[in-house]
Amino acid sequence: MPTIIDKPVTVDFSAGGDPAAFFLDRFEHTIIGQPQAIFTRTRWWEQGSAPKRIDTELWRVDAVKAGLAAGGEEQHRYDLRRDADGTWVLALDWG
Amino acid sequence: MSFPHLHVHSAYSMHYGVTMPEELAEQTAAQGSDFLAVTDRDGLYGAIKHIRACIAAGIRPGLGADLAIHDDEHRPLGRVVVLAHGHTNGRGYAALCRLVSAAHQNGSKKPSVSRERLAFLAGMNSLTVLLGPTSDVGQAIERRDGTEARQRLTAWTRAMPAGSVTLEVICHLAEPGNPGSVTPATRMLSLAENALLPAVLTNAVRYGTPDEALTADIADAARMLTPLAELEDLQTNGQAWLKSGQAMRQVARMVVDAGPREPGAVDQLIRDTEQLAEKCALDGATDIGLGRPRMPEASVIGVTGDPLTELWARGRNGVDERYAGSTLLPDAHRALEHEMRTVEQLGMAGYFLTVAHACDLIRNQGIRIQARGSGVGSVLNYVLHTSSVEPISNGLIWERFLSPERVNLPDIDIDVESAKRHDIYRMLFKEFGSERVTLLSMTNAYRGRGAVRDAGLALGMDDADIKEIAGQMWRFNARQFRQALKQNPELAGLATAVQEDQQLDMLVDLTQRLDRLPRHIAVHPCGVILSDRSLLDRTAVQASGMGLPMSMYDKHDMDPLGLIKLDVLGVRMQSAMAHAVAEHRRLTGETIDLNRVPLDDEPTFELLRSTRTLGVFQLESPGQMELVGKLQPEVFNDLTVEISLFRPGPMQNNMPLQFLQARHGEVAPDYIHERFKPFLQETMGVIVFHEQVMRMFDELTGCGLGKADVLRRRLEKPDELPAIESYVREHANLRGFSDAVVNRAWTVLAGFGAFGFAKAHGAAFALPTYQSAWLKTHHPTVFFAGLLTHDPGMWPKDLILAEARSLGIPILGFDVQTSGLEYRVEETADGIQGIRMALVELNGSSEAERARIAKHQPFDSLQDFRDRVRPKRRTFEALARVGALDSFIGYDRDRRHELLAHIQSLQGSALHIGDDQLALNIELPPLGYEGNRFKAVTSLELRGRTQTDLELRDLNVAVSNHQMSRFHDLFRELGVTPAAKLIDLPGGTDVLIAGVRRATNTPPTRNGIGRVVFLSLDDGSGPVANAVVFGDAQQRIGGKVFRTSYMLIRGKTRRSGARGVSVPVDDMWDLFDVQRKVKARLKAEQRDADAHASAGVHHVEPVAGWHLRAV
Repeated sequence: MPTIIDKPVTVDFSAGGDPAAFFLDRFEHTIIGQPQAIFTRTRWWEQGSAPKRIDTELWRVDAVKAGLAAGGEEQHRYDLRRDADGTWVLALDWG
Repeated sequence: MSFPHLHVHSAYSMHYGVTMPEELAEQTAAQGSDFLAVTDRDGLYGAIKHIRACIAAGIRPGLGADLAIHDDEHRPLGRVVVLAHGHTNGRGYAALCRLVSAAHQNGSKKPSVSRERLAFLAGMNSLTVLLGPTSDVGQAIERRDGTEARQRLTAWTRAMPAGSVTLEVICHLAEPGNPGSVTPATRMLSLAENALLPAVLTNAVRYGTPDEALTADIADAARMLTPLAELEDLQTNGQAWLKSGQAMRQVARMVVDAGPREPGAVDQLIRDTEQLAEKCALDGATDIGLGRPRMPEASVIGVTGDPLTELWARGRNGVDERYAGSTLLPDAHRALEHEMRTVEQLGMAGYFLTVAHACDLIRNQGIRIQARGSGVGSVLNYVLHTSSVEPISNGLIWERFLSPERVNLPDIDIDVESAKRHDIYRMLFKEFGSERVTLLSMTNAYRGRGAVRDAGLALGMDDADIKEIAGQMWRFNARQFRQALKQNPELAGLATAVQEDQQLDMLVDLTQRLDRLPRHIAVHPCGVILSDRSLLDRTAVQASGMGLPMSMYDKHDMDPLGLIKLDVLGVRMQSAMAHAVAEHRRLTGETIDLNRVPLDDEPTFELLRSTRTLGVFQLESPGQMELVGKLQPEVFNDLTVEISLFRPGPMQNNMPLQFLQARHGEVAPDYIHERFKPFLQETMGVIVFHEQVMRMFDELTGCGLGKADVLRRRLEKPDELPAIESYVREHANLRGFSDAVVNRAWTVLAGFGAFGFAKAHGAAFALPTYQSAWLKTHHPTVFFAGLLTHDPGMWPKDLILAEARSLGIPILGFDVQTSGLEYRVEETADGIQGIRMALVELNGSSEAERARIAKHQPFDSLQDFRDRVRPKRRTFEALARVGALDSFIGYDRDRRHELLAHIQSLQGSALHIGDDQLALNIELPPLGYEGNRFKAVTSLELRGRTQTDLELRDLNVAVSNHQMSRFHDLFRELGVTPAAKLIDLPGGTDVLIAGVRRATNTPPTRNGIGRVVFLSLDDGSGPVANAVVFGDAQQRIGGKVFRTSYMLIRGKTRRSGARGVSVPVDDMWDLFDVQRKVKARLKAEQRDADAHASAGVHHVEPVAGWHLRAV
């Protein structure tokens, strides 16, 4: 079962523009492997105004807490959401 | 970081792509890429714009199309993208054009091309086909049917030439399980790897920026005619934008990562994409053929030798023929040599021969033809009979048309009889061959109303609400809808509603987004493209509404593409004049050659000066009537000046007044300098013509007329003015002009930029103006038959009939025995010629019914008529009501009641009688027994109605009498001044005028005056009276200014010039209201008079001029 976290985080990027790490509660989480972006459309006409973007941006990443010995802290899957104003939110922890 | 986009829809993928090619090209360059392909759906509509935009942005263009494909058995194979290969000397582009044309070959609304045809055209390394998610292969992958996908792919590779098939990987980063997600993309990549085929990455772009994804949603709703809320095929998300190189590499990594891959697979995918782009980069010159004019081959236009030699010979012979006996002969030869030097230098001999050949073809069919535009300034065109206006005596200039300094292809517009336009197109196709001719298209873009309708549809708004808003969408730019809501007082109600309603608020946004986007393609009203055999290698075509092929390119694409466009414009006045000439020949056996009518006919000018110009080409509007009255033309050139002055620019800058004051000696003409006088004299020092600007530049700077025209064109661009000014000053001083003169000359030139007119154009218009005036003067009856048949002008037919009647031309009633499909002139019993009403005027009658009447007339009896014509009951009764069947009752109008009653009593359908059979001749009305049974019949439809009432009801025109004669008693009673008498009154006289509204104009007015409404009233006394409603009166009178049809007006006369009179309006009433009140008053007075027989009776002195009321 995923855990809802819904906390703003800061994100570091790789040279190619992918999220490389995020900081949650002062802990750096290093993203492992290729993160996958998912864009989900909205039914904007039901919301009463014409938005700048018609989809929401979500990145599904695998990450571990940095600085811990390999195998110490297990790898988790997270959903990072980027909102229209550019802020990043850690939405879900899939465990 | 660069990335070459190979699959991009521009806004020319109508209702699909939403970004214009220019924006896409600029964005590509700004993102650091150097290649962009546009692959629009089902067409190449935006191709040339894309190529030019890329060249302008400094990037390499690629071109393709997104097409539906079917197999041998017409089973659909989905949609694929086909890209043309570049640097193939145009072979790739030609194959693409042919392929797109083939997709449209069957004329279906859903174009599709067979794979077989695609394979054939892709041969010789011409095309690459991309099989992506919408292809049959991609659809199988989407269904997770790997076996099917492989089989489908094998079918493609077997059918297509080796190396022409590439798989297309598209990933819009959609949620897993949806189209556009990473899974089908990675499977597509695997399929390519397994099949050893290259794969490329594209983004199937539909818009430049993520922000525009919303516009694409609306486009989808408009294309499917379905509100967004009900749309099943919504785009998965908003990721089909023109992504940067970095963003595309991110996508590549995600796709590659989602499957088992070797390292380096990402680079491989990008590299294959770049390699294909390299292959598809087109060269504007060698591949597309930009900037290289191609005329029809000499053999097609009947020339065997060198076109230049041929043109020289025809030119010299033409001069000798056209100028035989003229003092201008030597000048004409010199002009010819001058023009031929340019023709030779520019290699345009074929062009002149082609246009002349087309004109000869048209003329040889006996069709009236008249060139217009700058080409009229050419002696060559005149002697080749392409144009009919003599350029030297009219002071026209060749360089306005063509010069080595000009960069565009010349343009000759030809006016022909409107009724013959389609015949002419077919003739040109036949003569030049359909491989060399196509019609031109035009792209209709969204404007306010269309945008608001489609936006409203997308939001699922109520039809009535959308209609209500669409009704207010005018007089402002829909892109500035929100701004207009703030600023325009008439939109205040809507603005409030928008604030209160979220849906309306969205509607405003959506409307702004749609405005100006291409909406649909239509055939251009007059453009024909003439070229050589290679035409269909350079433009894709589709069927136009009239069945002839139409290029997918518009007029803006012609010049860059080196395509010659001939504008064949249908002009109704030419048809009207042709009808008049034909009627004259039918009646008298004489042939009038209008082009040889002397241009100095005094009675014609008298007519023009009298301002009785109703029906005369260009001069029949109230404003033109007023101007022609003030100008009092005496020679042909005056007409050219008149027509050129009567346009918004000159009117707003008060140029007519300056000209008229000098012309009538009220002020001295101001030529600025003696050296300008020779070319400013004809317009009394006022610069009216482009040609005068050119001569002034030339005189000031010695730049030559060719360069002078280039300078003149640049005057239209405000930011170029300083450079031109310094050039002029520098040279003018050297040429002996003082600073004071240069200052004044420059002020005039700089101020002229916006509203000049080519004199060539004015003169070309003046010719039919003069010819129509000549016909009205000398052959009014046939001329009016022409006007009534072809309806060329602005006035309603009822007024044209009234004008004919007031000129003493009898209008002969509607009669099934003699009325034809067109208006014909008939000799009446007393030897006078009259115009017989034509069948077309009968409301509600069908073309087939009218054709049967014309075919079978005359008729022996009503029975005969009924059996042969088989009219609908409605038509039958209408014919009886207006008297068209009076021949069956011995023209005894009193028996029309019986006739109508009889027709209404008829049961069953008419007998069908063969054309060669005699009708059963039954006496009608069948009064066979009981004597005069129908004597007392009164049809309610006829009771109390005058003939005029009946005619207005069924024909919309009054035939036997002027419709206002119904009111003449009332006018006498009220003391209304007849329109014809206004001219005799001094200015400032209080008058009442009345009549039926014939026209309402709100012409451009001089700056700062505010809107002025001109009303043209017809009271049946002669010409229309012009009433003027100024701002304060508009406030006072309100909606009646626009809504009342029959009106009474109080005002004071205002004189302007010798023949000009108008009535500024103080007050206005509905004439029917007035009639009712006067009747009531008269009744009361009558009672009073009866009661006090001894008392004195007040008499209104009747105003002279009203005809006795017709019975």
